Amino acid sequence: MIEKFQEWYDNRHEYAKKWKEKTGGKVVGYFCTYAPEEIFYAFDVLPVRILGSHEPQDVTEPHIFGMFCPFCRDVLAQGLKDRYDYLDGIMLAQSCLHLRQAFTSWELHKNPGWSYFLPMPNHVQSKRSVQFLKEEYKLLIEKLEELTGKKITDDDLKRGIEIMNKARRAMKDIYEFRKQDNPPLTGAEAMYMACANFFTDAREFTEVAEEVKKELESRKLDRDPGKRIMLIGSENDDIEYIKMIETLGDRESVGCTVVVEEHCTTTRSFWTEVDTGIEDPLEAIAQRYVDRTPCPSKDWPDRSRLNTILDFAKDYNVDGAIVIQQKFCDPHECDIPFVRKHLEDNGIPTYFLEFDVTVAAGPFAIRTEAFLETLEAEDDLF
Amino acid sequence: MAKYPTEPLKCWNKAKELRNKFYENFDKAHEKGGLRVMGSAWAFDAVPLGLGKDVFWVTGEPYGASCAFDKPLSAEFLAATENYGFARDLCAYMRNYWGSIITNKYAFGGDFPKADFAYTQHICCSHAKWYQNACELEGGDVPLYAIDVGAGPYTPFAPKMYEHRVKYVADQLLDSIEWMEKVTGRTYNDELFIEAAWNDVRSTHTWAKICMLNRTIPAPLDEKSIYSLYVFGTLQKSNADFADFYEKDLLPEVQDRVERGIAAVENEQARVMSDTQPPWGFLSIYRYLEKWGVVSIGSLYTFGLEGMWLYDKDKNDFVPRMLPDEKPQSREDACMMLADWHLSKPEYQHYYSPEYKTQMMDAIARNWKLDGIILHYNRGCEGLSVGIAENRLGLLERGHKVLTYEGNMGDEREFDLASVQNRFDIFLESLGLEKPKE
Amino acid sequence: MITVGIDCGAKNTKTVVVKDNKIIGKGTSLTGFDQAAAVETSYNAALKDAGIEASDVGKIGGTGAGMDDIKQADVKVNEVKAMAKAANYYFPNARTVTDVGAEEGRAVKIDENGKVIDFAINEKCAAGAGAFIEAMARALEVDLQEMGPMVLKSDKEIPMNAQCAIFAESEVVGLIHAKTEKQDISKAIHDAMASRIVSMIRRIGVNKDVVMIGGVGLNPGFVDSLKKQLEIDELFIPEDPAYGAAVGAALVAAEEA
Repeated sequence: MIEKFQEWYDNRHEYAKKWKEKTGGKVVGYFCTYAPEEIFYAFDVLPVRILGSHEPQDVTEPHIFGMFCPFCRDVLAQGLKDRYDYLDGIMLAQSCLHLRQAFTSWELHKNPGWSYFLPMPNHVQSKRSVQFLKEEYKLLIEKLEELTGKKITDDDLKRGIEIMNKARRAMKDIYEFRKQDNPPLTGAEAMYMACANFFTDAREFTEVAEEVKKELESRKLDRDPGKRIMLIGSENDDIEYIKMIETLGDRESVGCTVVVEEHCTTTRSFWTEVDTGIEDPLEAIAQRYVDRTPCPSKDWPDRSRLNTILDFAKDYNVDGAIVIQQKFCDPHECDIPFVRKHLEDNGIPTYFLEFDVTVAAGPFAIRTEAFLETLEAEDDLF
Repeated sequence: MAKYPTEPLKCWNKAKELRNKFYENFDKAHEKGGLRVMGSAWAFDAVPLGLGKDVFWVTGEPYGASCAFDKPLSAEFLAATENYGFARDLCAYMRNYWGSIITNKYAFGGDFPKADFAYTQHICCSHAKWYQNACELEGGDVPLYAIDVGAGPYTPFAPKMYEHRVKYVADQLLDSIEWMEKVTGRTYNDELFIEAAWNDVRSTHTWAKICMLNRTIPAPLDEKSIYSLYVFGTLQKSNADFADFYEKDLLPEVQDRVERGIAAVENEQARVMSDTQPPWGFLSIYRYLEKWGVVSIGSLYTFGLEGMWLYDKDKNDFVPRMLPDEKPQSREDACMMLADWHLSKPEYQHYYSPEYKTQMMDAIARNWKLDGIILHYNRGCEGLSVGIAENRLGLLERGHKVLTYEGNMGDEREFDLASVQNRFDIFLESLGLEKPKE
Repeated sequence: MITVGIDCGAKNTKTVVVKDNKIIGKGTSLTGFDQAAAVETSYNAALKDAGIEASDVGKIGGTGAGMDDIKQADVKVNEVKAMAKAANYYFPNARTVTDVGAEEGRAVKIDENGKVIDFAINEKCAAGAGAFIEAMARALEVDLQEMGPMVLKSDKEIPMNAQCAIFAESEVVGLIHAKTEKQDISKAIHDAMASRIVSMIRRIGVNKDVVMIGGVGLNPGFVDSLKKQLEIDELFIPEDPAYGAAVGAALVAAEEA
């Protein structure tokens, strides 16, 4: 059953097109995980996250100046190449400036007729942000009424909350299995799952995820897990890289398994649920997006991520962390020296890699292997 | 043969004195028992002034630009930042600033004066992070308050100015006052604050009026001089001396130049505007333009960073925003006024769509009667380079001649003078100008 | 009226002699360290080829990165203007011109008179295609002349990051270790470099006819990649594309005489 996630990942467009055919519903593409998916489900709209395809491309040069991250260019290329021509709308919740350009250029040149920018507050540590966001959600709802011709009630919002909470809880349950000494799923499989969640109807996704949970109870992987690695970074769905390092053990003296990540593709986006104890569903949703592990662009004045990261490292008993930087990603670049220091002060060795759209498999394999070897050496000291 | 009479600005020396005094005040603040604050040029700098008359600022962006003027010093700061583990594509001002802290060197001499607290705003990905890290690099005991101004665009770019958006910003300002009282142990004086808030609107309104005068042919000011003058708005727009300088010295003098037909560039033949911060170590490029008889009359950046304007959609015009009807009477009023005033800042609008910036730039190009537009693809500033490639396309589509060049406002390693001059040559020739004989 | 155009480029210095709008002589030399000497050599070779003396020459136009070392030049012509003129001379329907040389790539949008409307030049961190392909030929131990033709034997698509030449080079090393066929690596290199140039051309827009000048125009692998990525059937290349800029300089010199 777990293969289903990869199937969805590989066939994201076919899935969305079929979903439209089947349900007659509308599909909205969103660019960042601050999009309140609950509200879209309340309208029976399918929210799908737009990710890149990791192919070199030559179409974004006139639109985005070269100092912005390769991810935002890759995302825009998907639009310019009409790969998302089935969308009924696009939306962005305010996060970094890089991705904003993918959104605004898409809005200018490939506008599907409905687009929305949600000023998601940056000052999430302020007590004022929940109220502000709640008011913004009301504007978004008016806009969605235009798109769908529907009105929604609190019950619809509660339904949307339940749909997303279930999907997120299922993913969290699956992540529990990765704590095992020999995890029954690889990091690549986990990444397929987390991304598949972006591309599919959360209800259908949850059904499969629940099956996968049962499957994992008895699943045994015929491989040496090697070193337990954590990945930390921005948007990263670099599955090729994860696969490469998780198969190092087949070819070399050291291998590894990615047991947890702190990425917006994975834990940052799904770890927290909406608190159903809060009476007003809109406020509950706002509270959830304000409280979730922040993108570093919103993580101030306190750098709250540091302890979240350390907790993950401890809970998943990691041997080392690979800090991945998307080239030119300013928010993460501002945090990286402190993330590394915090981990190393707490006994977790780190290694730094700078990623672009394509991964230079050879050199990255050599470097990762060298890092894994240093972890081995440290074991010898004890 | 000169086409127009020209003469230097009379208020130049006064401007120099004011600027030097500003940096000295920050340095010596503690000697007089005063407070030091660090923060962004875009911060609501009026708010901390309610703590007393002895609160002095250092402003990150102009400080970073000052570092860039001194290339060897800047190289040392940038290297220190990179050695610490920061990426070299981050904001160049910020890297110069952090480098100053890491090496403990103040660009104006002596040790880097440690601030008592940091007070800033957040619109690009880096602003609050800048001071978060500066506080950390200072030892972790400097507290920070940052105001989020990412509350959406202002009219006419939003259907209306939603009250909750203004209130979100105003409420943070109110919270910050309580916070400042806590971290400094001082009692807050609303009267001082209201006065400072009024100085803020006064200086930013006056700056826009000064820039309006550059619609005149020949232009009374060229952009290189504008950089030396707009800096007061960036240093501290709520500073009473600065507001007075704009209102009582600069505005009348530029008005007088207009009346007497005094040109900034005596052989003005063509007019251009720029965009984003220039490569500060290479302002000679403006002298190079002058040789061709080209005056750069300013930019959306120099007009709108610390000047308050509104875009008139019906007339496709760009006009100074009128002063509020009356002075605020209370702390709450002043916070609402400042929040609303600043959310209309032209340089905030493009964060929501490059189209808004293109519209404002088109209006400037038409009303300031320009022949061409030179866009600096500034690798040193993510915030002001956002959408710049779309601005180029949008301006071309509207029939303007556009040149782009790549550089960096504060990291000279990313600027190539010879190749940029070569680009200028090609562009200016295509405008029908002739290359001046050596 | 006889005019001469000299293009002192990063790798080679090219000279052409133009008489009444016709090319009557050509000469080339390696630019090397002593640019003035290279100019001299190439100039003399062109005069000899045309069968004329220096005294027969009316005006000389100089262009290229080493323009300032062309002491003989009466007129200095910027590279963009030179390539625009040349393209218009060879192909009056030219609207988009690209010049791919050793160290620099350029793209120009021109009107029916060869006047520059808009242009793009690669930035610092984007390597010129020529020098990069040459370096990669050494890495693959392939003769430079074979690098291009062998591309046509490959039908593999290996994505390679071309944002940075250094990064691309390490990807090539990775492919060599992975025992990838040389022709496939060569194709990946050419595709990646063409993609950089195409990105730049897209900045000014792809308007037909598209003309290419510069020495890389002789590389069939590169030309093939460029055509595919630009999604055009025909890419117009003059007979001796390396001399393009020199021809443009000679034509400008004739106009200004």
